[in-house]
Amino acid sequence: MNNTVSTKITDAETTVPRINKRRQTVKATLEGLLYLAPTLLILGIFTFLPIISTFRLSLNRVAPFGNQTLFVGLDNYVRLLTDPDYWAIVRTSLIFMVATVAIGIVLAVGLAIALSVPVKRLSWFHRLLIFVPIVISSAVTGVIFRWLYHPVVGYINYWLSLVGIEGPNWLATKDWALIAVIIAVIWNQLGFNVIIALAGVQNIDGTYYEAAKVDGANVWHRIRHITLPLLSPTIFFLTVINLINSLQIFGQIDVLTQGGPGQATTTLIYNIYYDAFVGTPQRGIASAQAYLLAILILVITLIQFRGGGRRVHYQ
Amino acid sequence: MSTTTPQKSKRRKIDYHELFLQIALIALGLFVALPIFIAILTSFKAPADVINYPPTLLPNEWTLDNYFTAWNSTPFGRYLLNSFIQSGLITLAQVTFSILAAYAFAVLQFPGRDFLFWVILGSLMIPFQLTFIPNFIVISDMGLANTYAGLTLPFLASAVGVFLLRQFFLTIPRDLYDSAKIDGAGNWRYLWQIVVPLSKGAISAFAIFAFLSAWNQYLWPLIVTNDNLMRTTQIGIRYFMTTQDRGQDWGAIMAGAVIVMIPTLVAFLVAQKQLVKGIAMTGLKG
Repeated sequence: MNNTVSTKITDAETTVPRINKRRQTVKATLEGLLYLAPTLLILGIFTFLPIISTFRLSLNRVAPFGNQTLFVGLDNYVRLLTDPDYWAIVRTSLIFMVATVAIGIVLAVGLAIALSVPVKRLSWFHRLLIFVPIVISSAVTGVIFRWLYHPVVGYINYWLSLVGIEGPNWLATKDWALIAVIIAVIWNQLGFNVIIALAGVQNIDGTYYEAAKVDGANVWHRIRHITLPLLSPTIFFLTVINLINSLQIFGQIDVLTQGGPGQATTTLIYNIYYDAFVGTPQRGIASAQAYLLAILILVITLIQFRGGGRRVHYQ
Repeated sequence: MSTTTPQKSKRRKIDYHELFLQIALIALGLFVALPIFIAILTSFKAPADVINYPPTLLPNEWTLDNYFTAWNSTPFGRYLLNSFIQSGLITLAQVTFSILAAYAFAVLQFPGRDFLFWVILGSLMIPFQLTFIPNFIVISDMGLANTYAGLTLPFLASAVGVFLLRQFFLTIPRDLYDSAKIDGAGNWRYLWQIVVPLSKGAISAFAIFAFLSAWNQYLWPLIVTNDNLMRTTQIGIRYFMTTQDRGQDWGAIMAGAVIVMIPTLVAFLVAQKQLVKGIAMTGLKG
């Protein structure tokens, strides 16, 4: 009797906790998933699922008349890659990208270095002035610059006339339109870039400067031999982020030029929008373009992770 | 920096450089902010004054006429309401859902957790243009074009928010959790009564960030609305500009632009510090 009772008790002692533990794991998992459910659901439906849908769309073409959808395989891609017009748009995008990124970063790093020079009284004001474009939307940027570029009474051409230059009709001239958009975009992105560059500058150990001061180095020496070399990871990070951002710039172009004149300011993203939503929607070929653009962005992102991901300083 | 005072002459010399930089900087700063000043000043000019050549910076006489014109010729009030609803819904949902998900990733323990975390982070790699065409088709097939649901649904969750808040929640000592457990508090109570109040700073920084990027959205509201009364401010100002441009009424257009950017300027003035910190920390703009 005693024996059986005792074995029963030990049985219970070993199995009940095990069942409890399993039950607890199931419960914990369910609870965890419940907390994650809204985020997973939204991202699943509106971010992950569309990757597949976009690809499926890119394999189809809507017949010119009627709503007939034809499966064309990779023909949309082939068409694009053999279309000189498409390559012209790629070229415009690359010019736009290189110009905004290169000029934008040089300006931002220069400003960040200057802003970090410690005169406390004014810096708050400076920062305010220089950061403020980050909160100005792409649409408002477009609207304001369209006014500044006004061919007759615009400020920019007036200022140019003060130094004896006759300004072009910015937004209506083929070559100038792209430059005009580039300037507006650089302005719009400047605050963002300065903030990141400034964080990089402020991360630099102050003792380097102290040592350089003792050695008699002036401001310019310090910038060249201490700040810039130590800032290189930040500059690299900025470059990658800006490359990716610049390929997605849309609002400023839509407000300033709508891709024109002709196709002078039509970039890859603008052309996707145009083909998918303006006039007769050609969603198949637009989706194929979206994929090609995504691949380009992915390549840049991978370069970031492989090349410099390790050196990016998160706080 | 200010603690060391080596030979005086050397400090003097450096100060000249710095003085020069400061003066150059004031000029540069004003130059950077100049387009915004011009927009604001133009909006207060009388119509004839606006198209005067050469253009002056300050109005000859200050007037609010442009604001009345803009407000009366286009439903700016409605645009503002739409934008507040759209941005408010997006912010509220992103903050709430990110808090929940971040809590699961930072505090709860269950199999598959880390995998799911990488899945959510992975969504950051997917650029918007890869999703917006099918999303538009889904939203319009559901009859949600020109609705607040259509404007907001794809943006109700934020991987950035989850990541940011998780990082912050991880800094809360585990002991707090254990003692809350001993006191009989469940996860739900621990999250809302302890974790959230402790993370107010991080949460509000993310909220401002979410609000600004929602407010400034352009491409999605452009394609998902074609009813004038459902447009957000950004799309409203775009169409307002194209109609007024023909009449060369740039005073009214600038008044419209000022109306559209006031909420963001206010947010910037109030939360400059958090905003700057958030951007510096994440390298993300939204």
